[in-house]
Amino acid sequence: MSDERAPTEPHDSAAATVTASPGPSGRAVVVAPPWRDTVGVASAVRKGLASLVGGMRVTGRYVARPSTVVTQHYPENRGTLRLADRFRGTLRFDHDADGYHGCTVCRICEDQCPNRSIVITQRDKGALTKKELDTFVWRLDACTFCNTCVMVCPFNVLHFGPGFESAVYDRRLLVYTLNGYAGPTAALLKKVADPQARKAACEPRDPFSGPTVLQVLAKERAAAAPASVPVPVPVPAPVPDPVPVPDPVPVPVPVPAPVPDPAPVPDPVPVPVPDSVPLPSPAPEATDVR
Amino acid sequence: MTAPAPTTLRARLDATPWASPLGTQEYFVNMGPQHPSTHGVLRLVLKLDGETVREVVPVLGYIHRGIEKICEHSNYRQLVHLTDRMDYLSALANNWAVTRVVEKAAGLETNGRIEAIRTLVTELQRIHSHQLWWGVFGMDLGAFTPFFYGFRDREILTDVFERTIGGRLTLNYIQPGGVMHDIHPEFVRDVKAFMAVFRPRLDEYEALLSENVIVQERLRGVGVLSAADAVALGATGPVLRASGVAHDLRKAEPYGLYGQVQFDVPIGSRGDCWDRYAVRMCEMRQSLRIVDQLIDHIPEGKHFLVKPAAKIKVQPGVWYSHLETARGVLGAMLVSTGGEAPYRVHLRTPNFNNLWTVTAMAPGGRVGDLVAILSSLDLVVPDIDR
Amino acid sequence: MSLEPQSLASRTAAAVDAEPWMAIAFLAASVVGVAAFVTVLGLVLIYAERKIAAHFQCRVGPYRVGPHGTLQAVADAIKLLLKEDVVPAGADRLLHILAPVLSFAGMVLCIVALPLGPHAQVVDLDIGVLYVAAVAGLGVIGILLGGWSSHNKWSLLGAMRAGAQIISYELSAMLALLVAVLFSGTLQLSGIVLAQQEGWWIWRAHGAGVVAFALFVVAGTAEINRTPFDLAEGESELTAGFHTEYSGLRFAFFFLAEFLNLFVVAAMVTTLFLGGWMPLHIGQWAAWNAAMDLLPPGLWFAGKAAAVVFLLMWFRWTFPRLRVDQLMRLEWKVLLPIGFANLFFAAGLVVSGWYFFPTDAAPTAPLPAPAGWPSDGAAP
Repeated sequence: MSDERAPTEPHDSAAATVTASPGPSGRAVVVAPPWRDTVGVASAVRKGLASLVGGMRVTGRYVARPSTVVTQHYPENRGTLRLADRFRGTLRFDHDADGYHGCTVCRICEDQCPNRSIVITQRDKGALTKKELDTFVWRLDACTFCNTCVMVCPFNVLHFGPGFESAVYDRRLLVYTLNGYAGPTAALLKKVADPQARKAACEPRDPFSGPTVLQVLAKERAAAAPASVPVPVPVPAPVPDPVPVPDPVPVPVPVPAPVPDPAPVPDPVPVPVPDSVPLPSPAPEATDVR
Repeated sequence: MTAPAPTTLRARLDATPWASPLGTQEYFVNMGPQHPSTHGVLRLVLKLDGETVREVVPVLGYIHRGIEKICEHSNYRQLVHLTDRMDYLSALANNWAVTRVVEKAAGLETNGRIEAIRTLVTELQRIHSHQLWWGVFGMDLGAFTPFFYGFRDREILTDVFERTIGGRLTLNYIQPGGVMHDIHPEFVRDVKAFMAVFRPRLDEYEALLSENVIVQERLRGVGVLSAADAVALGATGPVLRASGVAHDLRKAEPYGLYGQVQFDVPIGSRGDCWDRYAVRMCEMRQSLRIVDQLIDHIPEGKHFLVKPAAKIKVQPGVWYSHLETARGVLGAMLVSTGGEAPYRVHLRTPNFNNLWTVTAMAPGGRVGDLVAILSSLDLVVPDIDR
Repeated sequence: MSLEPQSLASRTAAAVDAEPWMAIAFLAASVVGVAAFVTVLGLVLIYAERKIAAHFQCRVGPYRVGPHGTLQAVADAIKLLLKEDVVPAGADRLLHILAPVLSFAGMVLCIVALPLGPHAQVVDLDIGVLYVAAVAGLGVIGILLGGWSSHNKWSLLGAMRAGAQIISYELSAMLALLVAVLFSGTLQLSGIVLAQQEGWWIWRAHGAGVVAFALFVVAGTAEINRTPFDLAEGESELTAGFHTEYSGLRFAFFFLAEFLNLFVVAAMVTTLFLGGWMPLHIGQWAAWNAAMDLLPPGLWFAGKAAAVVFLLMWFRWTFPRLRVDQLMRLEWKVLLPIGFANLFFAAGLVVSGWYFFPTDAAPTAPLPAPAGWPSDGAAP
């Protein structure tokens, strides 16, 4: 098939062109052992049988020694399971002994995240400074565990922890708010002498306290207003599910793709919910006015 | 000189001139996209006459994710992690290929420690990849047990990677300007422990599979790829070398520390499945040799030379760089119009070219031969489609 | 007390006139016994295969259901029973349903003729060897029909491979069987066992027994489609070969038949070459023979059969698969000539009486029971 563009290499084998430079070793090329030609029927049979027995000896050695079993009994060995300290399981947002973090909302991690798994909201009029962290939202469902955010963080706020058992039945549950409180950094808070004032500067956050689906769903359920414009959501988490009750079956969930953003340079302001885009409504009773 | 080649798949298959002496009929079978031996979602349309393969037409695109396109929307640091997902068994070599072209384009420097770490982990991953290949190869030939032995020994290396890098499969580690972490304090000890365990295991591999008379019968003379065909089809890596062409970028254009270590390039003598098998088995030993030479001589220095958060900017221009992964030559071309994101990235992946050698090798063989050929090519389908 | 083996069928026949109720009881015992035996043995074999395969591969295998996973096979059986039974569109419905039944029936028909112990045999046909060889062919019809009716090219390929392979290897298997038949002078399976009272045919015949044993093990492995001859299933080539389109209960039938065929081959090897339930006797060494007789014959049979089963499992978890043309070459160019040569050699041995401890007595005549054996009349 290569007759028209026959290359310069000779067709036959061992003496083919050696394009490799010799290198320091001198002998750059070694011919891999060819299959053995056996001469004579008897020797072929003998060698063939010997090879079969040789293979059976290898497997036989293992079956005779149950100590060679390498199986880990996973759920039972949870207590003794030791993961590597650098293992990229779940993203952690570091808090110091007092529970304060060091995030200054520089947004480098958000900017460098290849697929926008990190979404940060800020409080523009904070207790102590103009710009304070409000929520640090990490989307486990989108994260590729590339470790870039950890690498680029100038304040070493982020690191990956060993937790790997993050399976849930609804992928909307994989959106976490990582910061324990909304408020200024540890360095600023420690300058405040009055514990009461310090407390007042921080507003507690928990993993699901951010603008997550569950929160919005809860609000919607509380309002129980049929055919209303969905609650405006400040952050493009995978929110706008107009179903009034959280559906335990994840199949029909119309989670929008991570923020559609054609521009390579991300917008510093969180993109508002793309409410102009009509979303599919799985529940027939939900009258979607958009 | 002849009629224009038929374009549609059906027309192409129908056009194959062949007449059965027995008046039997040919038939088509779809091998894949779900098939145990295509190792992923590769689809081969087979034209069979009984058990004999008349023609093979690979059909691609079942796992196309548009990695090259996504690269155009990523900055130079972000696009590295996408390459983990191409040839997921050579994630580090893929990282390195893209990193090299970015470093070349942005004029980033590295030091001896970085290069030594990169060489070491990439060479370890070559073993890692070949271990998996060996197990799967055994399974494709019908022996299940090698699969488990291969994975068992691979697990040791996976743990080494996990300790230093934090990942087990998609290891985003080699970055423009360095490597993401310095090696783990126990890295050297772990690697030495691995080599102590693996050398005897390699002999066991030979006893279990290489010397087995059934394996030799299944592989000798099967799927012969001449050196000319291999070159014409753009095959690289062990597939090319098994055909007798001693082309290895680690020797031809040494990068990393390959210029400073002693190793041999194994080549085959006939270009059949056995040679491809034997070349990979030899490569594992050669990789161990390289690791052996480097492991005690990692120079001191920093593991990352640029500010991690700094933006990488590239002047307008076109850059190309390539290196040798476990499967062949991975080339990365970068077109920049300036700024933080590339204008175009093209990745010349080894599996794409290696795949097409099957169209030259399979006709005339049996279905069982086709499986052996496919397995001897060591394809990773996401690398074909990207 | 004579040690003449008594089968359930012969007891039934004997009781028909005198005690019709006993006849019905024996008949019921046969049916229930075979059904229970097949089910339990199938589950045990599946568990054993999985566990042994696991340990060949440095795994533990089934471990969760029951202690050390002993109930895993039961759980799998229940799962298969509950699964949807799919007949693919375009399939030949009747044949698709019939195929696993045929496969299973062939296996059961073999089992009823096997002498598992002096009194544990359902039917003792005087042409037992011929009968087993004949009904074993039903299995291949089941496989052929299964592949043909599935409306799937991979299945068809698997079925065609199976057809060619099983029919070819039956020749070698028969040639090996004939060696034992020649030595024993009978086609009756219980007679073949009794003929080995002086020693097993595998070592009594100057190598002819060993060659025949090896031939039968290889050909038997091929007949039951196990690695290295599992071309009909050919996991990596044909996805699952002839049973690609089978699920649920019908797949279970194929699966069970495959595993019990393993037992059938092991039992045939045991019966023909390893003395069946006969303890390891050596000529007229009375003390040795008496010591060997301490173990009950059922245990001897089970032990030998288990050893052969283990050997076949060892093959399966070590060797790769042959290619289809190599398979044929091995049979027609290697095994068949060896089989013929061996048969002629064995015939010469028998004619000249050169094998160890030749017996003058007709092998089928009732032989005196060695001391310490259970007397006749024990329930099978």
